Amino acid sequence: MIQIFNKTLLVLGAAWFLLGCSTPDEVKGKAGVVKVVFKHGKIAGSPGSFRSLLKRFEEENPGIIVKDETLPSSTDQQHQFYVISLEGRSAEFDVLSMDVIWVQEFARAGWIRDLSHLLPPEEREQFFPGPIGAVIFEGTIYAVPWYIDAGLLYYRKDLLDKYNFDPPRIWEDLVVISKTILKGEGDPNLRGFVWQGKQYEGLICNVLEYIWSAGGDVLNKDGKVNLDSDQAQVALAFMRDLIVRYGVSPQMVTTADEEATRRIFGEGRAIFLRNWPYAWNLFDREGSKVRGKVGVAPLPSFPGFSSAATLGGWQLGINRYSRHPKEAEALIQFLTSPEIQRWMALEIGYKPTRKALYQDERLLAAQPFITGLYGVFLSARPRPVSPYYLMFSQMMQPEFSAVLVGLKSPEKALQDAQLQMDHILSGRPEA
Amino acid sequence: MKRADPLKKAGFLFLLLSTAIFFLGPVVWQFMTSIKPDTELTALPPIFPTNPTLGHYVAVFRDQPFFRIMGNSLIVASMTTLFCLVIGSLGAFALAWMGFRGKGAILGIALAISMFPPIATVSPLYLIIRALGLRDTWWALMATHTTFALPLTLWILTSFFREIPGELYKAAQMDGCSPLQAFYRILLPLSAPGLGAAAILVFIFSWNEFLFALTFTTTEVSRTIPVGIALFPGLHEIPYGEIAAASMIATLPVILLVLFFQRRIVEGLTAGAVKG
Amino acid sequence: MRPADRYLGYLLISPALLVLAAIALFPILAAVGLSLQRRLPIFHIAAFVGLENYRFLMADPRFWNSLGNTVYFTAVSVALELMLGLGIALLLDRPFSGRGWMRAIILIPWAIPTVVTARMWEWLYNVEFGLLNHLLMATGFVTESVNWLGSPFWAIHSAILMDVWKTTPFAAILLMAGMQTIPRELYLAARVDGAGPWAIFWHITLPSLKPLILVVLLFRTLDAFRVFDAIYVLTGGGPANTTETISVYAYKVLFQTLQFGYGSTLAVMTFACVAFISLIYLKLLGRDYWRRLVQ
Repeated sequence: MIQIFNKTLLVLGAAWFLLGCSTPDEVKGKAGVVKVVFKHGKIAGSPGSFRSLLKRFEEENPGIIVKDETLPSSTDQQHQFYVISLEGRSAEFDVLSMDVIWVQEFARAGWIRDLSHLLPPEEREQFFPGPIGAVIFEGTIYAVPWYIDAGLLYYRKDLLDKYNFDPPRIWEDLVVISKTILKGEGDPNLRGFVWQGKQYEGLICNVLEYIWSAGGDVLNKDGKVNLDSDQAQVALAFMRDLIVRYGVSPQMVTTADEEATRRIFGEGRAIFLRNWPYAWNLFDREGSKVRGKVGVAPLPSFPGFSSAATLGGWQLGINRYSRHPKEAEALIQFLTSPEIQRWMALEIGYKPTRKALYQDERLLAAQPFITGLYGVFLSARPRPVSPYYLMFSQMMQPEFSAVLVGLKSPEKALQDAQLQMDHILSGRPEA
Repeated sequence: MKRADPLKKAGFLFLLLSTAIFFLGPVVWQFMTSIKPDTELTALPPIFPTNPTLGHYVAVFRDQPFFRIMGNSLIVASMTTLFCLVIGSLGAFALAWMGFRGKGAILGIALAISMFPPIATVSPLYLIIRALGLRDTWWALMATHTTFALPLTLWILTSFFREIPGELYKAAQMDGCSPLQAFYRILLPLSAPGLGAAAILVFIFSWNEFLFALTFTTTEVSRTIPVGIALFPGLHEIPYGEIAAASMIATLPVILLVLFFQRRIVEGLTAGAVKG
Repeated sequence: MRPADRYLGYLLISPALLVLAAIALFPILAAVGLSLQRRLPIFHIAAFVGLENYRFLMADPRFWNSLGNTVYFTAVSVALELMLGLGIALLLDRPFSGRGWMRAIILIPWAIPTVVTARMWEWLYNVEFGLLNHLLMATGFVTESVNWLGSPFWAIHSAILMDVWKTTPFAAILLMAGMQTIPRELYLAARVDGAGPWAIFWHITLPSLKPLILVVLLFRTLDAFRVFDAIYVLTGGGPANTTETISVYAYKVLFQTLQFGYGSTLAVMTFACVAFISLIYLKLLGRDYWRRLVQ
């Protein structure tokens, strides 16, 4: 027993010594060198390429070193990390990358700095209006839009061509096309339309697209939240019908998120897919079963109304407690500059938030379909822009999910949601 | 009268096999996922990879300093186990064989601490860790892991120690042993299985702990394996291949350690207990 | 008990108490304190409201739903784990060649990080590409894929199966270790007396294992009641909150809606429920055990 104990202690001691001796790359005491810490979720593509970008920034800005630290890709874990750190007044990072729905609440909490001087009105014009709207809180800009996302309809060009269909403009057509192709192909593994119906944030994005494309909204004219509307009922009923009545969407959409649906479509087992732009790169790469067979179009709508896409994307902000705000600003300006945004679009596939880039020759040559995306991004609609948004989301998710799995009727779910919404807002400090 | 029963033996083997398949099945599947190239990941059939590749394993080490991360996990888990065993066995010794008041309260409070959901304590703990300047160090995790694994250790070891007859202790004392000698020479060897079980459970708890590791570590200096694995996926992409490879890599050392521990404990026991 | 014993006893237990007090006490007290406040950091609200949060909680349907899910999950999981663990311990009690390997195999599920387990099972349960559906359809058990994680009925049971797979080793290890300390003479004597295997199990094995069974029950119930990571990754609490346990709800309240006060209230409530259950265990099963333990 003693021998084992001693041996273990020896091994551990050696390991500790070896590991402990490796110095973390701290820049200590070098006069004049500032270290800016950039916190972000995992960036697509190889880590080497993004590092090379940061190296370029360091070369162009002698005296500044950038330490980039990755957070887990789960947006929930990133949010949790920021909440704990910022509530604890941590100064351990300077620049942070935020989901479009967090800026309002972080701004309200006073956790991020005023960046209005980085985006004077002429600069603002360069960006899409959606993200700009999402980063303005009470008239002040709190973050700079970095890259943009919006819901798209992916479809199998080859299958639609085979049956002589154009991409659907209205939802009903999507159903008809799906049914026709499913019957014609007779493939038991082929699905009609896959989308994200799992109980999570993505569900809200999907539902809103149906509500908006039915001419409704969750905010009425006075800016008050109004969930229990006819259009919302129509939207939810239609989504449920897609699964049950038309049989066009498989049951599993009730547990599907972006990746699950992306895989199904990517294996050639779906005709239509609703997803974000990132999927395109994956469908287009070497070895993909659907390479060259994928088309992209704006989402359909209900007759008489226009297509609607939910706005996504990430924005760069500065930690209120940062000790190097000036250098942090330099980094943000670099990362959101036209040249770097183009680089990101070409190398990583992140779509730029600057409008002009959608006519850039190099970008168009490499990704010709990007012109089609321009219209979608321009009209992409943000989820309710409010510090309360995450509360709404947590409350709406189970209600919408209940409709999709048949536990509640659309009317009941929306009524319950409205009740809870009123309850949340009745406790409003500002009211 | 021997019941030489081929039926019984077959039944035994069947149960063994089912148990092995139940526990091992998903892991074997995970292993096969880890050696399938991306294109075959979603294809079913075939169940078995036709073009096995080590690409995912390479990616695991290429995209992150995984050796360092494993080293961190090893240090944190081992030290946590050590602390828990030492502090826990001393405490259990006291609880099992000494007479003093408040034993019930102590065990109860220890249990109560285990009962508190970690998500509610992570925020205040973060503040403490930061105040002590322990962010991104091994000590942050060793301290918190030890604290939250100690109650289980106390309970397990107290139960084991309690089972050993008090007469042995008294006899040892009459032979002139000090309490600590009795502890060392009699108590510990006899409760080897309990120590082994506690050690394994604490080690694995610390090895797999995620919430505190995520909150208290920022860089690979102190990052542990569960956080490392959580960093794999891109924003939407979940690389099942890499995750499978990483989980194989992460689990193997634990299995080896456990095999080592198990055998030694059993050896120690059979060596000492034969005299009956 | 001699006086020297008493001081020695206090001395020996003090390191443990010190560690627990230093690191666990402040956060727990802080959390309890928060549960009595209305604390919304985003809106800079920090006000003492006494038991207001608790009153709200009593009337909160989502809380009761999560409590129901949690109780169901815990009851079924722990029962299954205990029975399986006991069975495995019995199976592996007598030495046979390869027993060491079996023991290591049993341990594997417990050794895998929870997040990995959840992803692994998520993939197994996948409706389109998962192994489980594939096998079920290939063997003809079902005609179409089961929506394991997306059906209000199946979701919680899928979570239970995953949890049983992962944590049965805990019970098995403890019970195996416990069985090894049962003196062989007892078994031999009983067999000489003509007792059959069931009688041996019921009258010798089980009573000897009682203390350990109590430990297993206690700690497994604690863990199952507070289950978070596994379920959050597997289903996120859905569909329609059918797998939302108390911890998942508390997590969402704390870190998604940033209501630190109410979130802490939920945590304290979880603690209270678990404490209540533990007391019941101790009362029912361990009265003499407890007495023996703390004399």
